[in-house]
Amino acid sequence: MILPFYQALTEDVTALSPAMDSLHDIRRKALERFTATGLPTLKTEAWRYTNIQRYLKEFPYELLTTAAPVSPEVAESKAIPELDCYRIVLVNGHLQADQSVLPEGKGITVGAMSAHTAAPGFVTYFNEQHHLAGESMAQLNTALFADGLYIELAANTVLDKPIHIVHVYSCATHAIIQPRHLWVLNRSAAATIIESSVHPETAAVAFANSVLETVVMENAELWHYNVQQGEESFREVHTTAAQQHKDSRYHHFNFTLPNTPFTRNNLSVALNGSHTETNLNGLYIANNHQHVDNHTFMDHIMPDCNSNELYKGVLLDNANGVFTGKILVHQEAQKTNAFQQNNNLLLGSKADINSQPQLEIYADDVKCSHGFTAGQFSEESMFYLRSRGIGEDAAKALMVNAFSHDITDAVKEPALQHYLQEQIAEIMNN
Amino acid sequence: MINSNEIIDDIANKEYEFGFSTDIEMDIAPPGLNEDIIRFISAKKNEPEWLLEWRLKGFAAFKKMEFPKWQHFEMPALDLQALSYYAAPRKKKQLASLDEVDPELLATFEKLGIPLNEQKALTGVAVDAVFDSVSVATTFKGKLKEMGVIFCSFGEAVQEHPDLVKKYLGSVVPHTDNIFAALNAAVFSDGSFVYIPKGVRCPMELSTYFRINAQNTGQFERTLIIADDNSYVSYLEGCTAPMRDENQLHAAVVELIAMEQAEIKYSTVQNWYPGDKDGKGGIYNFVTKRGICKGAASKISWTQVETGSAITWKYPSVILQGDHSEGEFYSVAVVRNKQIADTGTKIHHIGKNTKSRIISKGISAGRGDNSYRGLVAVGPRADNARNFTQCDSLLIGNQCGSHTFPYIESRNKSAMIEHEATTSKIGEDQIFYLNQRGIDSEKAVALIVNGYVKEVLNQLPMEFAVEAQKLLSITLEGSVG
Repeated sequence: MILPFYQALTEDVTALSPAMDSLHDIRRKALERFTATGLPTLKTEAWRYTNIQRYLKEFPYELLTTAAPVSPEVAESKAIPELDCYRIVLVNGHLQADQSVLPEGKGITVGAMSAHTAAPGFVTYFNEQHHLAGESMAQLNTALFADGLYIELAANTVLDKPIHIVHVYSCATHAIIQPRHLWVLNRSAAATIIESSVHPETAAVAFANSVLETVVMENAELWHYNVQQGEESFREVHTTAAQQHKDSRYHHFNFTLPNTPFTRNNLSVALNGSHTETNLNGLYIANNHQHVDNHTFMDHIMPDCNSNELYKGVLLDNANGVFTGKILVHQEAQKTNAFQQNNNLLLGSKADINSQPQLEIYADDVKCSHGFTAGQFSEESMFYLRSRGIGEDAAKALMVNAFSHDITDAVKEPALQHYLQEQIAEIMNN
Repeated sequence: MINSNEIIDDIANKEYEFGFSTDIEMDIAPPGLNEDIIRFISAKKNEPEWLLEWRLKGFAAFKKMEFPKWQHFEMPALDLQALSYYAAPRKKKQLASLDEVDPELLATFEKLGIPLNEQKALTGVAVDAVFDSVSVATTFKGKLKEMGVIFCSFGEAVQEHPDLVKKYLGSVVPHTDNIFAALNAAVFSDGSFVYIPKGVRCPMELSTYFRINAQNTGQFERTLIIADDNSYVSYLEGCTAPMRDENQLHAAVVELIAMEQAEIKYSTVQNWYPGDKDGKGGIYNFVTKRGICKGAASKISWTQVETGSAITWKYPSVILQGDHSEGEFYSVAVVRNKQIADTGTKIHHIGKNTKSRIISKGISAGRGDNSYRGLVAVGPRADNARNFTQCDSLLIGNQCGSHTFPYIESRNKSAMIEHEATTSKIGEDQIFYLNQRGIDSEKAVALIVNGYVKEVLNQLPMEFAVEAQKLLSITLEGSVG
């Protein structure tokens, strides 16, 4: 079970990041935690439907901590047409300044993590999110990450354009790549951040184990989109730990589109202040033997917060879908409204879905609910479309489009919305 | 309006109404769990060799297992060696009629509101009363016998229908199923056995009253119900237990087998001693209940009203093996004081066109903790499987907990699965509305709770529905949200 790449590094984790000396203790502690629990197995409750070892043992991976030169066309391929934005290109977690257009101005800090370890936001919030402690893959990242993107917006700073981050994963041999990011939006700041990833090589498999911490301070607002549209030779564990403070708004969108054989998204939101709003939206369309696992956790710690969670899935061919949605309402979190919904369309004859919508509630004055469905197109709707001369495939595409509309419709950037709708239509037409 | 804290204190302080114990000379085995005690039980019950072997296999499996850790409560420290595994009222002579039953025992039932003789005359319910471990009175036997229905204690079935017992014992809940089922297989004392022959519709509700009486005696019942082709049976199980300071373990096993087009309806009202307001004492109700719809178009329906026990931990399940078979689970679980309920169901859709329906209503008050845990699994062969699940929770007071942990696994694209769960409290506006119409707050709560659980209570046979309603109103008296 012990992988050679971390065995070798146990001796000297510090060699990884001479620029981040201050992190030695944190790294060592994380490595201890990781070695204590080891990699998740099917007996780990949070991973009971996802056998990560199957994907990790597929190849002899090596831990890759450096960037390789990558031509600008690679990142360019993920550009969203007609989206006016700042583009940031990271290769294996390392910022490529020459390919990026960074936002500039008063109160805006954007740069490599390694260059900002002394920044107040970093000192206060790095690895502070306690939800990470229970996730061994996040511990592995903390122990051995190389670099990532640091964003901090000062109080009252509102970005004029969205930031589009393109994560390029480039390796010559099969590799595990572990970027680590931290974004801090201070009081009343606002931003829209879109993430895409690309792995240009097809011969070498890249396994990304990335961790992102986001902090949304008082009255701040973050729109966060993650578009996962990878390649056959890409696998990903993506952990996002968000924390929200008083009166803040956090909108998270996760789109997992076909081809990447394995995707696991850990998403946790801790509500550390009251009167917050949280929207978690997810759409997964999986094909072939794709395995998509969305693992979400809404932690209602403070009173008077609202959260809405909607995850929808379309499972084609032999695809496996997994959804876990936990809502925890602490005793202090009175007047909580927390809603969660997971709907699935099983279209492939060997597709399957495993779902665990969970409510854990210790407060009485709350309104909480979850819902789950798995099923088929309604025959009446199909018949209606067919009777109007629409072919079966076109009718299916139309229905999937309608099914995903709840999610795509909530996307605030018109260019991104259009782009996603096109992608979905294209997937269904093939 | 009454201060809600006062009311919650009120509920919390409510003493257990059925707390009393009877002194009957007991035949008790020394405490301790080992092979000798299993041989002792088996010998005492004059069991055939194969059953002893099966018990020993169960014991061997038990020794290899550990207590589970996944449950949503702290596992109490169980000293299984400190328990006595056999207790039977001393047999005086064979009883011919109720008059010969120990009057003290009859008085006990009287206090519980289930006088045997009255029931016999008035309700037409055949009662197989299990007092601790040995059945002491069985009624309506003659009438059932006429129709070929076998309804007797487990011990009797082993003696008189060994083939049936041997064929079906452990076929639904194997001795290796879980640690408590293994323990039960090793040391089960007695229980009920029902066999409904082909084409017979059992003319009356069959019922058993379980009682736990002797101190330090865990009760390990085993119930086996077989409904042959085209038959129907409705089985009722109800429990109350006297007040005790020491925790008592109840690890029963219930197995249901429905053959082609047969239907089994199993209803439970459970009101064992829940412990006092500090969580001291009370029964640990760790029961394995499972039914299999073996034949096509068969049906199994579980209905439970759980108001008692310190810890209720059970998942009455249905395996839908036959095509077109149907499973149902209706549950009301009420916790208050420091009670814990971790209950739900598992439905395995294996056959084609199988249907299941789960309605679970949890009510938490005081410092109680109520969890619904369930599994709906649809296999690749289960074309057109259909499931509907609804779990609702009602919270009364801000120190209780209510949780939902469903597991949904679908391996068939033609399956339709729906699950919904909600959590809420009784709205002040609802109470206000009823107050306006001259209904005081106490009655308003009773009315709302009654409406809330109606879907489940409607499933109970009439006699039980009345008892259940009474239990709920006693439990939740005065609980204004």
